[in-house]
Amino acid sequence: MPDNSDLQLKKGDAFAAAFIIVCAVVFGFLFSNVGNAGETPIAQIYLNGRLVREASLGIDAEFTVEGEYSNTVTVKDGKIFVSESSCPGQDCVHTGPLGRSGGCIVCLPNRMEIRLTSGTETDISVR
Amino acid sequence: MKIKRLTLSALFTSLALVLSYMEKFFPLQLFIPLPGVKLGLANIVMMTAIYFIGWKEALAILVIRCMLASIFSGSITSLCMSLSGGLLSLLVMLAAKKVHCFSVYGVSILGAAAHNLGQIIAASLLLYSRFAFGYLPFLLITAVISGSVTGLIAAAVFRLLRAGGFRNYSDHMVRE
Repeated sequence: MPDNSDLQLKKGDAFAAAFIIVCAVVFGFLFSNVGNAGETPIAQIYLNGRLVREASLGIDAEFTVEGEYSNTVTVKDGKIFVSESSCPGQDCVHTGPLGRSGGCIVCLPNRMEIRLTSGTETDISVR
Repeated sequence: MKIKRLTLSALFTSLALVLSYMEKFFPLQLFIPLPGVKLGLANIVMMTAIYFIGWKEALAILVIRCMLASIFSGSITSLCMSLSGGLLSLLVMLAAKKVHCFSVYGVSILGAAAHNLGQIIAASLLLYSRFAFGYLPFLLITAVISGSVTGLIAAAVFRLLRAGGFRNYSDHMVRE
């Protein structure tokens, strides 16, 4: 009678499967910052329809966009927002922060626009 | 006896080659949309070789099968990827077989996971990029599933072989 004991499921098999799944979860966290899983978006700031500045959301920064009015743009914690503005409506300040999900902030009086793109350079955007 | 092993190894090589070619026609990517995900049917042959012939023959089967497959598909990249995956998988399966707490199912899923890991490492070296590792978590989970399927088939094959009188690997394949 042949010994077929290694054809039956053993405890070690469950451990092997669990180990692999745990590794999968660990790698999932480790590598979620690398590659396709999450690129830092780049914000593009337009003034009068022309691209004047690009800012990566990964780098905290603060700068001013001077047009007819002055918008102070802040990048912090992966988000971009207009922290101060000399424009009359203050819509741009009230729009709030843009994060990874996209969207845009517009200051009509200053003719300023902030848009988000994804991080990949091969991204083709259709205007 | 040497001729018997040689012939068996040749047979297994062509079997592994045919299996790895055939499984490309199975649209696994419809269910699991990942690049490079496959059933890994060739692992059944590797397992049978490990359990019933020997590690040296298994190594030869693997290397020659990968070389032939890359010649037929005309791509050196595929050689690097399949060889790295297969070698790591063979190593892991040999080690797992020695540890007696794993059945063929355990050996098989560890082999599948190691195969995927080896391929990802090769891919990221070839592309000079780390982004291939982003697929690793999903591939590892599919490896558990495909490894179980492969293990099931291998178990059935082993049962038949042993009922037919073939013994586990020792110095030669003996028919009782």
